[in-house]
This record gives sequence, structure tokens and C-alpha cells, in this order.
Amino acid sequence: MPCERKPMRYGHSEGHTEVCFDDSGKFIVTCGNDGDVRIWEGLDDDDPKFITVGEKAYSLALKNGKLVTASSNNTVQIHTFPDGDPDGILTRFTTNATHVVFNSSGSRVAAGSSDFMVKVVEVSDSSQQKTLRGHEAPVLSVTFDPKDDFLASASCDGSVVVWNIEEQSQLISWPVLQKTNDISNAKSLCRLAWQPGTAKFLAVPVETKVHLYERGSWDHVSTLSDDLQTQLINVVAWSPCGQFLAAGSVGGSLTVWDVNSKLCVERQKHEKGFTVCSLAWHPSGSQIVYTDTEGCLGLLDGLSTPTPNTNTTKQAPATKAAKDYDDLFDDDDDDRLMDEGLSETNSPVKKPVAGDDDDDDDFLMPATGRVRNRGAILDDENSLDTGSLKLGQDKFGDDDDTGSAVVPAAVPLVPMRPVYEGPMPTAPQKAFQPGSTPAHLTHRFMMWNSVGIVRGYNDEQDNAIDVEFHDTAVHHAMHLTNSLGHTMADLSQEAVLLACPSTDELASKLQCLHFSSWDTNKEWMVDLPEGEDVRALCLGQGWAAVATSALMLRLFSIGGVQREIFSLPGNVVCMVGHGEQLLIVYHRAPGFDGEQALGVQLLQFGRKKRQLINGEALPLSLQSHLSWLGFTAEGTPCYVDSVGVVRMLNRSLGNTWTPVCNTRETCKSKSDHYWVVGIHENPQQLRCIPCKGSRYPPTLPRPAVAILPFKLPLCQTSTEKGQMEEQFWRSVLFHNHFSFLSSSGYEIDEDGQSQSQKEQQELLMKMFALSCKLEREFRCVELAELMTQNVVTLAIRYASRSRRMALAQRLSEIALEKANQIREDEPEEEEEEPAYSGVRRTSGYSQSEVMEERRGNTRDQEEEEEQGEELREEEEDGQEMETEEAAETTKRVNPFAKEAVSSVTPSLTPIGKVGRANPFKVLGSGKPSSSSGQPRVTNILDNMTSSRKLSPLSRSAGKPGKDPVLKPLAPRPKTKTQSTLLQMNATKAASKKTQENTQPAADQQKQPEVPPPASPADNTENNRPKTGFQFWLEENRKSITADQPDLEETDIIKEAMGRFRTLSAEERLLWTERAKGQTGDAADLKKRKRAGGGVENDNGQVEADENSSKKKKSLDPSSKLSAFAFNKT
Amino acid sequence: MDSSEVEFLAEKETVKIIPNFSLDRIYLIGGDLGPFNPGLPVDVPVWLALNLKQRQKCRIVPPAWMDVEKLEEMRELERKEDTFTPVPSPYYMELTKLLLNYASDNIPKADEIRTLVKDIWDTRIAKLRLSADSFISQLEAHAKLDNLTLMEINTIRAFLLDSLNCMYKLRSNLQPGSSKGQFTDY
Repeated sequence: MPCERKPMRYGHSEGHTEVCFDDSGKFIVTCGNDGDVRIWEGLDDDDPKFITVGEKAYSLALKNGKLVTASSNNTVQIHTFPDGDPDGILTRFTTNATHVVFNSSGSRVAAGSSDFMVKVVEVSDSSQQKTLRGHEAPVLSVTFDPKDDFLASASCDGSVVVWNIEEQSQLISWPVLQKTNDISNAKSLCRLAWQPGTAKFLAVPVETKVHLYERGSWDHVSTLSDDLQTQLINVVAWSPCGQFLAAGSVGGSLTVWDVNSKLCVERQKHEKGFTVCSLAWHPSGSQIVYTDTEGCLGLLDGLSTPTPNTNTTKQAPATKAAKDYDDLFDDDDDDRLMDEGLSETNSPVKKPVAGDDDDDDDFLMPATGRVRNRGAILDDENSLDTGSLKLGQDKFGDDDDTGSAVVPAAVPLVPMRPVYEGPMPTAPQKAFQPGSTPAHLTHRFMMWNSVGIVRGYNDEQDNAIDVEFHDTAVHHAMHLTNSLGHTMADLSQEAVLLACPSTDELASKLQCLHFSSWDTNKEWMVDLPEGEDVRALCLGQGWAAVATSALMLRLFSIGGVQREIFSLPGNVVCMVGHGEQLLIVYHRAPGFDGEQALGVQLLQFGRKKRQLINGEALPLSLQSHLSWLGFTAEGTPCYVDSVGVVRMLNRSLGNTWTPVCNTRETCKSKSDHYWVVGIHENPQQLRCIPCKGSRYPPTLPRPAVAILPFKLPLCQTSTEKGQMEEQFWRSVLFHNHFSFLSSSGYEIDEDGQSQSQKEQQELLMKMFALSCKLEREFRCVELAELMTQNVVTLAIRYASRSRRMALAQRLSEIALEKANQIREDEPEEEEEEPAYSGVRRTSGYSQSEVMEERRGNTRDQEEEEEQGEELREEEEDGQEMETEEAAETTKRVNPFAKEAVSSVTPSLTPIGKVGRANPFKVLGSGKPSSSSGQPRVTNILDNMTSSRKLSPLSRSAGKPGKDPVLKPLAPRPKTKTQSTLLQMNATKAASKKTQENTQPAADQQKQPEVPPPASPADNTENNRPKTGFQFWLEENRKSITADQPDLEETDIIKEAMGRFRTLSAEERLLWTERAKGQTGDAADLKKRKRAGGGVENDNGQVEADENSSKKKKSLDPSSKLSAFAFNKT
Repeated sequence: MDSSEVEFLAEKETVKIIPNFSLDRIYLIGGDLGPFNPGLPVDVPVWLALNLKQRQKCRIVPPAWMDVEKLEEMRELERKEDTFTPVPSPYYMELTKLLLNYASDNIPKADEIRTLVKDIWDTRIAKLRLSADSFISQLEAHAKLDNLTLMEINTIRAFLLDSLNCMYKLRSNLQPGSSKGQFTDY
């Protein structure tokens, strides 16, 4: 019984809807929640006639030109049909009627109501009523016996009752239904139906089956069921011939059984899976109309039921069975095809239905897609059409071979199609280039990164690519015709990489415009093997990587040499490169319920090739996908998901990902987004383009970059404590890159590092003060654990000043511990890489030393040149210091002209960088060493980088008597905080216990080559400035040891401190003077100089104004700290 | 005061530029500028912006008020009100002139903006003349004019002062004997 399911159409507003045909079958009549009865001349009738019967119409029945409706005003009304004139009220209930039906002749109407009653009324004389009482709950449905003797009704009390109409008595009652208290709660409407004609069977939908009861005996004679029928049946209807029974279910399936054979002859599915709440046969038996609870109207056409022919039923099965089976298969095919159309997933290859084998296959194929329909189709109207189209096409083929189809009879009974109700897999997100807008746009950004912008135009006039550099010093802008149809691009300081997918004739191509090449050939192109498409690409420093559809990663050198090739564990999502690092994100597995299951790999090339992150899961926010992936300018991987959360790799916590920002929090409206283009750690900047009402920026007008701040999602950031904690941990996190850079041999911005450490320590001190105020001493100690030893001494002072002696005691223990730790760590650190994070200072120092060692050799060679440069700079600086006006004239030297000249060589030659010094600036400009192969020219950080470093180097170089080999390891200025703190400790002697330990330890760090610290003081005395106390100690050590020979070194110093303090002020001053006189050490000078003359000019004026500088001796940064401490007390 | 001097003052106003070069913070008497990061907007004085623009070192981001819709609104308001309405920038005329002359390629709908600003200017100058006229004709000793920009004051100052002086002289010559409080006719 091949039938065609017509697409659903809107009938009424949402809610219960009923439908029937008129007697001739010409009209479809519906009623619905909007209170209208609509008369449709067919399914395609766009302008149906309507009759308003009330606010809501619950049920309708139509016979002999009389339309009976149950409406919300508790009445059952009659209207003439098709004119729609009101023809009086048939009966009333105390509440609304739920179901009305005519008897077969049309002389009576039965109505069931929510007030538990069923009434049977003569249409011609409404006063002749029979009331059937006995239900104990609202009546669900009623149906007349075609011979007019009985009436059956179903009720919410769970019973189906047969009444004798004349006697108004219950004949029999079957408690087969579920009990509920109201129709709205009933699982099924339980529309009964009595077989027309012979009136032999009463069909009662019971859960997923239909029970047939025999008239007279009232026995349950048979059950119609279908294995695929898993949902409650809502409504049943007999075909006019009485041979077929149609049922509609809550889940939207429509089933037709042949009652004689008890076989299912037709299965259809509501296209959206809504509940079928009414269905009716066309008087000819060839169509079924049905409506759903959403008010839509549908039609099944082409049901080839034989005309009423009850006599032939005996012969039918033999010939019909086979035919029915065919129909069955057709249905399956239809369903399957439909599923394919709907779900848009890769379902198995479609097979033309040609023979038995195919039929079998189709039949046995587990079609899990069937259930998926329900969810998938909801928003997919278009695909439905294609589904039904295919459906129609297939039918032709089927009709041809219906005769040849021979199928064993058992097949339809085979249980099949396990129904899958679990989580649904999400469609994997497509590969994309981070920093690009979608490929379907005619004008799009193919890449926006820190180097520049690649725009693609693809309209009628033009198919072109524009490459523009943020820094025109890198390269001038380029305009390329895009004849190959490139869709992907990446841009670096060295090259532009473009790729196009394969077409029918051409293979997928990779094109590289290597503009920084020094030879004349600036371009190369590579064809990928057939069947392999470029999915993602990226550029690093000196290499290019391409991920392909064959799950392959191909690595090329920037000049076009094929280097490495390896397989990826899954389909690539996107890829980025930075320096020697390559970050790949791919699909690890199918995600479920809107999640993506992504994996991430981080590889490092260069001298030591290794995999840093090995296919771990990439954490995304719930129900989101990846929208940007990249490195910070400093080389830390980070990414953004579609919810707007920015996450950054925390290398110091076992390569975990920390959320650092939620861009959506700053959005004004829901539809606004930020399109991230870059992230900088120092200064902390999230560079992004605000997009109003969209996810992507348009190419015109040219979008402007905005900067967002970072914010760790810590608790209670509205409180002072929360704020400081957030600041502290953010500072720690964003300065992790120092340890990474130094551990991978890059030069780091020591100034920035010391700055950040100072900032962190200051924050710690503030938190400490706050905790002190709140009487949280335990917390104080916890904070002190994070502090460096020197700040702990400050904390001790703070504690003792605020009279918290117990706290001070504990703190001093910590301080001592820290001092010991530093000493212990020392020898190890010289050999191996430090494993510490930047939280503690110790690691910070040692890292810089390691770095120093590594580049020691290269440094030496450069040193000569650099010194020359340095001198010139110093002269300039000095001048500026002396007279502001003179400096002003120097400033007039056009900085931009100079800039322009120097920017011709944008590459990484260190000397070139020196030439870019800004004469306006008091600081010297940066010189990244050539040993660091970092492409960070554009980075502002670079200019700050290493300017400070040079000074100590040149100074130490200038110092006579120093072993040249040790130059790079010569004493270098430590963080300002520290040096000044040291100084302060020495003079003020605030902390008796630790102070002496501090100095040797710190000094040792300056000289990592010294042997282990058995006697730290002795080792360092020669090289460092001595304080008055030390001189005094030297002189008096013997006397102390003589007095107390059993003292440890630290105890000696403690003792000495005590004694020194007992000296009078004049005496101490004398010692200090002596110390000054003897040590002309530059480092000491420098400290004072810095304090006096500002941050700059470390050693520029060492020679120039040595004398004057002696006067200025203050302790600026630490005095700030101590001042703070005082304020707080 | 010369109008070129007013323009000079206007050049101190800041404007956003997107540099295409990289330069560390620069230290000037008037304050520190920068740092300049390629592709990242930075606020600089107009004189520097124009200088950089002329050497193709940057793109200028027009100020927020330099937008056709906003200026149209302003023009309507200016025409509707009898008094002077607040202007978007105390140097709106100068800035428009400078930016449109040197960076019209960075400003969308430059011509429309030019016309709109000129319209606003004309309306305001007309109002100014009108008020000067009524000031003199009604023999007021003082008048209060809000929301006037320096450039506008400057355009009328020379003329107004001279003419008032002139009138004063004429009047004192005409009626040497009359009392000083009498200003009846001119």
C-alpha cells in the first residue's frame, strides 16, 4: 500500500485539533484551539472557509449537513454545513464536552463531557436526551455502535464502558486504561472506534496496541500491534470498508493495520513527531487526514484500500500478503530516505530498490536515524521537501518490481530497530583558520594577526587577495589576484602562506610568498597528493605547516623544503605556529549533546624537537566550540571558545588551561561579540575587534582594534581581598612566560620581570597587611610563604610594629627557612634547569642565570659592538640629564626619520635594532640578541628588553682585572626591590636573624660560579660593596668567636648584630664611612644613583658625576613599601 | 589673536591613530606619547597625527563626533535653537579642516562631513552676527554668549571691538556737551 505523505500545513493555532471529512469527501473540516471550524477544499486550499463556534472548539462531528461542535462555553452546538449558520444548541454540560460523535445514520449525537457524563441526544429534537452516568472521571471519548444499540465510552477513570443506550445502563466495563484526574493529564485521548458495517469489533487503543473486542460476547478477541510502535496510541479510526484500522500515536506515528491478517500495512511518521490527536478516513478509503497538537494538518494520500468488500476477505490474504509486505518495505525505504534527507548525516549509501536482496538489506538495516528525526527535523523545513521528493521518485521503481518481490512471511515480525534514546552526537566543527571570517562571505578577512591583515575579495568583478602589514617596515602591502581560489591564509614576518582546496581538475595547492627571502625567487608552490586537501595551515619561524584531509601534517621549511610528516590523531580543527612552537587542535572523538571533543598537541621544533602537550583534551565551555586559537606575543598558547572565554596555558601548573577573560562580560548586548585578534602578556592586553550584533567584523568600514583587560574568574572579586588575590595570581600567570622563555633559551625582559616580581611582592605585602588588620594571622603566614625572603623581613617588621609578636616569631622562622632554601638550591641550579614557577624569586634569578650561561658565548662576540653603541647612547643620556634644554634640541632630531631608515631592516639583527634607538627616550632601546630567534620585532616589549641588561654587561666589561670569560656572569643588578631592601636591612638592621643570610645568598646568585656556600660571606666579600657592619664584623669576628667558640656562623652574625647595635651612632657612622671609602664599587654606586636620579642611566654617569651621586642615598621603591607598612599601622 | 594661532592651539587636541610602525614610548615636554604598536590605536596630538599621516606612517581614526548622522543631528539642533548649542569639540572647525585636508582618505564620507560642519559653522556665525547686532542696537552694556568656540570668538573679535571703538568715538564727537549716560542715537 504505497502512500504519499503530503507535507504538513498550518491549520489552527497550537493545541488540540480535530479533523473529519464531510460525507462526500470533498471537504476536510477541522476545528481547533482558536475556536474556528475551517472547511478546506483540499490540503492545498489556502483560503479555507471558517465558522467561528466559540473561543475554543474541542471536538466536532459532521453528518448530513449538520456540524456539531463542542465548544468552550460548555455547549454542544449545531451549525449547518457548509454554510455555517448556527442551528441551535443541542445540549449543555456543566463543563465542556470533550468528544462528540454522530451515529451512523446521523440521527443522534453522543457527547462525552468533563463532568463525567455522556449524553445521547436526538438531533431533530434536542429535548430527547439520554444521560449515561457511571464514569468517575472526565470522559475521554465516545463512539456509537453502528447498529445504534450500544455506545462505548472511555474515561479518565481508566475504564472503557459499553452502554446500552435504551436502558442507559452499563453493559460491560474494561479497566484497561491508566487512571488520571483530567483530560489534560491523560497520556492518551483513547479515541475509540467501532467497526463500521458489520459492527463486529470495537477498537480500543490501549497503550501501544489496539485491542479488538467482539460485539455481543464482548471478548477481547485480538490485539493489533506493531513492533515499531513504541508510543501510546492516541486515536484509532476504521476505514470506511471496515477492513483497515488506522491509529495515530502520541509520538506522531501513523499505522494502518489490516484487521483480517492483523498485519501492519502502512507506517508513516508525522514529519515533526508531534502528537497525532485526530485522524479521519476519506469516504473512499484512499486518504487519511490527521491533525496534531500543534494545530497542523496532514494528509496521507494514495492508500489503495479496496472498496468496501467484506465478502472477499477470505480470499484476500493469499494474494494480499505478499503485496502488503512489499508495501511494508516501501515504507521502510521511504522512511530511510527521509531520514537521510532530514538528518544530513552520512547515513549508509542509498541503494536503489531493485530486488529482494536490496529489500532485505534495507529492512535489516538498523535505522537509528529514525529516532534522531525527532530532534533533527525541528528546525529543518527545507530538507523535508527533499525527503518527500525522493520518496516520490522511489515509488516509481518500487511499483515496477512489486510483483517480483518475494519475501518470507516471517520478516515483518522480526524484532528490529532498537530505539536509541541516549545522548546525540554533535556535528564536529569544521576546520578554520584562527583570525579569519567565514569563507562564504564575498569580502572577508582571511587572516588578521599581529603581523598584518589578509583580506579576500570574491565578487563579480574581482577575485583578489590583499595583504597588508600593520608594520609597514615588515613589507609593503601586496595585492594578488586569486586565480587559484585560495581560501586559507597565514601571515608571518617572513612569508604569506596561501592554500586552496582541490577542484575537479586541480589538486589542492599550497602557495608561499616568501617575501623575506634574499634571493630573487620570492615564491614557491606545492601540489598536494591527489585526494588530499589542505584543511589548516600555519607559519612559524622558518617553517610552514599544513594539516590535510588525509589526517596528515606536513612540515615545510619556509624556503619550500619538505621536512617532517606525521599523522594526526583526528580531523584538524585549527593550527597555529609561533617561533618554534606548533599548536594543533583536532577532533579527538565525536562530541555529544552539543559538546566538541577536541584534543590538543603542542610541539616544539628547533634544536630539541619534542612534544610538550601530547593529545590532551582541550577544555571548552559547555555547549561551545573553538573560535580562536593562538599564541600570545610572548609564546604562550591560548584560545577562545564561542562563549567568549579566553583560556591560557599555565605552564607552571602542569600545562593546564586557565580562564583569563570572558569577553562576553564586557559586551553591551547579547548579540555583540568580540573577535579576538591577538593576546599580549606584557602588557596584559587582549586585542580584539568589537562586533556589534555579529560574530565577525565586516571588512568595511575598517574595524578598529580595542583592548580588553584580563580578569581571572576568582571568587568575590568585588572585595578588596578578592581583588588583590586576582591581581596577584593574574600577575603570576602572566609572567610565567619569563620562565618559559628563559628555559627555552630566549632572551627575556629582565626589567619587566623584576617589575612584575616587585608588583607581586607588593601585592603580597598588601594582602598581608589586610589579613593582619582582619586578625587573620594564619592567613598572614600563608601569604608569607609566597613572599620572597626580603619581603618577609618587611612583613616581620610590620607584624612587630602592630604588636603581633607570635606572628613575627613565625615569620622569622619562615624567613630563616627561605634563606636556607636559597642556599641549598644554589648549587643544583647551576647545573640543571630550574623547575620552579615564577612565584618565588629564587627561580626567577636562577633562570636568568641559566639563560646568561647559555648565551654567554654569543654575548662575548657582540659585546664589543654593543659597548660602542652603548657609549653613544650614554652620552646622549647624560646630556639630557644635565640640561633639559640641551636635551630638547637633541630631541628635535627627527625620530621618525631615524625610524624609517632603521626600519628598512626589520629582521632580527641586533645591531639594526640598536640603530632604532629613540632619541626622545631616556632609556636606551632594546637589542634582542641574535641568539634568540624570536620574531618579536613588532612587540613593544622588545624595545624594553635588555636595555637594562646591557649596562651591567658593559660595566663589568669595562672593569679591569675581570676575567673576560666571566663577563656575562658578572654581578648584575637585581630587582630594585631587592637591592634596596638589602641596603635597608644592612643599615637599619631591622631583622637580626636573617639579614646577614640574605646578603651572602643574594650575592651568591650574582656569582653562580662560586663554590657551594660553606662560607658565603668570605666568598663574596671581595666582589661586593661592604657595609659598615661587615667591616666591623671582620674586625670583631675574632673577639666574638673567642667569647663564644661554639657558635654557628649564623649565630655569630646574630651575635655580631647585637653588638654592633650597641655601638653609638657616631661609631656606626664611622664604620659606614670606612666601608664607603674602601669600596668604590660600581654596583653600590649604581644603587645610589638609581635611587637618586631615577630609574634610568644606570651607569652612564658613573664616571661623570660620581661625587654628586654619593649624596643622594634614598631607598625609593622599598621606602614606598615601608611607608605603606607604616600607613597601615 | 590670529586664526592660525587658534589652529595651532587646536593641534594640541588628541586624536586616535593606528600607526604602522613600532616605536617605544617617546618622552616630550608636553607629556609622554606612545608606545606605538603597529595596528593598535593610540592617542596622539593632532600635530603628530598629521605629521605621521603625511609621511604615511599611520591611519587616523576620526573622532567619534565626526560622523554624518551625529553632525546632522547637531545641525538640526543648531538651527532650531536660538542660542548656541554645545559643540562636539571646542576646536571642531579647526579639527575638521585639518583632518579633512590631510586625512580625508581615512574619514568616511569626508565631503558630507565638510558640508555639515560648514553648515553648523555658518549657522553659528549668523547667530553671532545677529546677537552682535542686537547687542549694539539695544545698547546693552554686556551680553552673555555660551558655548562659543575660540575660533568663533576670534572671527568676530577684531571687527566688533574696532567698530565699538569707532562708534564710541563718533558718539563722543557728535555730542560733546551731552551727559555721558545718554546713548540715544547713532
